[in-house]
Amino acid sequence: MFNYFHNHFLAFNIALVRIFSNFGSSLMMFLVIGITLFLPSSGLLVVENISQISNNIAYDAELSLFLKKNIKQDQIDFIQLALGKSLIVKKNHFESKLTAWDKLQNKLNLNPLDIGISENPLPDAFFISLNTFNEKEINILISDLKTIDGVENIFFDAGWVKKLRSILYLLKIGLAFLAIILIIVLIVVIGNTIRLQTLTHKDEIEVSKLIGATNSFIQKPFMYTGLIYGLGGGLITICTLKLTIEIFNKAAINLEAMLGGSFILKNLVWEQNLTIVLIAMLIGCFASFFAAQQSIKKFEIFK
Amino acid sequence: MINFDKVFKRYPGNMDALQNINLSISAAELVFVTGPSGAGKSTLLKLISSVEKPTSGTIVFENKNLSQLKAKDVPYLRRKFGMIFQDHKLLYDRNCFENVSLPLAINNIGGIYINRRVRAALDKVGLLNKEKIMPISLSGGEQQRLAIARAIVSRPSILIADEPTGNLDKEYADEIMNIFYSFQQVGVTVIISTHELPITPVKHKKIHLINGELKDQANYVQLLS
Repeated sequence: MFNYFHNHFLAFNIALVRIFSNFGSSLMMFLVIGITLFLPSSGLLVVENISQISNNIAYDAELSLFLKKNIKQDQIDFIQLALGKSLIVKKNHFESKLTAWDKLQNKLNLNPLDIGISENPLPDAFFISLNTFNEKEINILISDLKTIDGVENIFFDAGWVKKLRSILYLLKIGLAFLAIILIIVLIVVIGNTIRLQTLTHKDEIEVSKLIGATNSFIQKPFMYTGLIYGLGGGLITICTLKLTIEIFNKAAINLEAMLGGSFILKNLVWEQNLTIVLIAMLIGCFASFFAAQQSIKKFEIFK
Repeated sequence: MINFDKVFKRYPGNMDALQNINLSISAAELVFVTGPSGAGKSTLLKLISSVEKPTSGTIVFENKNLSQLKAKDVPYLRRKFGMIFQDHKLLYDRNCFENVSLPLAINNIGGIYINRRVRAALDKVGLLNKEKIMPISLSGGEQQRLAIARAIVSRPSILIADEPTGNLDKEYADEIMNIFYSFQQVGVTVIISTHELPITPVKHKKIHLINGELKDQANYVQLLS
């Protein structure tokens, strides 16, 4: 077991030596991986921040509860009492049909006699602000309210939030596609670099084969090289994200006074940053594994 | 130890490198494979070390038919051989110690054994004081001795040397041959291909090839020129 780890340590050491002996080109590789992964990662950052805003806005979602025309005042009082006792109702506002009718006439500049309306067509209504966006809780409240005598209709006014969420969902799908395409590009770029490295080390590979090295033994240093490329690229991605956030937030604070409000970008949580680095390492390892495997097979001297 | 039975090797273009080779090599034998250029000496060594497969016939080593060996088993077979080449095939970006330790890493031997065995191998060929030096700084004879150290470090049962003194002056060549004799004396089978049979002070076998055919196979106590 010790020898197994010792061999891995040696392979890792060879990979490190190769990377540092060509530090310029290795740095270019880190940058290529880092910037390529920055594109979907920054998209994720924006979507995450907008999602947080939409979540906050969701607390202002409203229920509109319309009452029957012939409802009595004690029934209205009962409904108000019931709403007051509900834990998910943040506040409620009763709008009588008379007030609503006056507001409508004033807003549209209507004269009922001119348009042939003899009586107020509007019902009494409650407008309820909720302190949750949990659909299950809201549906329970709606079904409870529907059982109360005097309630005609209930509308859950959250269409625009749903639209925003749908847009965010589509954005996430788009980002996933972009990420997949860029990952394929990275696999090709890293694979090609590793393939060229195997050509550079052709003599070493042939000698190793002659003295009994298996293909997996020869592949190890190349795989560690890919892994280190991924690590370097992943770290560059999260550093670039951090730098972008800092620059954006500084600009946003400067514009706060002018715009009367500001939008501060929040960084991804550490688990997400770690995932980006791990994905980059996985891509590096995967690409180098296949490139080295294919390339080393071509050096087969046993015919 | 190694038996060739009706072995043919034909390369593309219908060129027969070896024809109907029947021979036998015993353990702890010193064998010279001689013949002019193109006689098939290198091909014979390549067949033994499974660098090439015979076109027909059987080669048996330690009761295994090398003609039917699977590609995945070849590395494990080669670990039983120590191989030395005319052009040394050293890794010039690694120092002497790292070159010699490579077969140990391949054999999954690590830790304290590496240091001990590499130093012993370098000591055997007289390069102990040059373990940190890069091979490019060594003379031709020293590079060949380094190649021998790499070949013996994993304690193989057979040493195969393809024209090991081809590029060396007589003084260095004698030095290299003496190293081989010393290994044969301690029970290692040594197979050397060479243009000319050297003056050999020990018991040995000669396999003489011309145009891919075995012309002579004989044991000698001592041969002068």
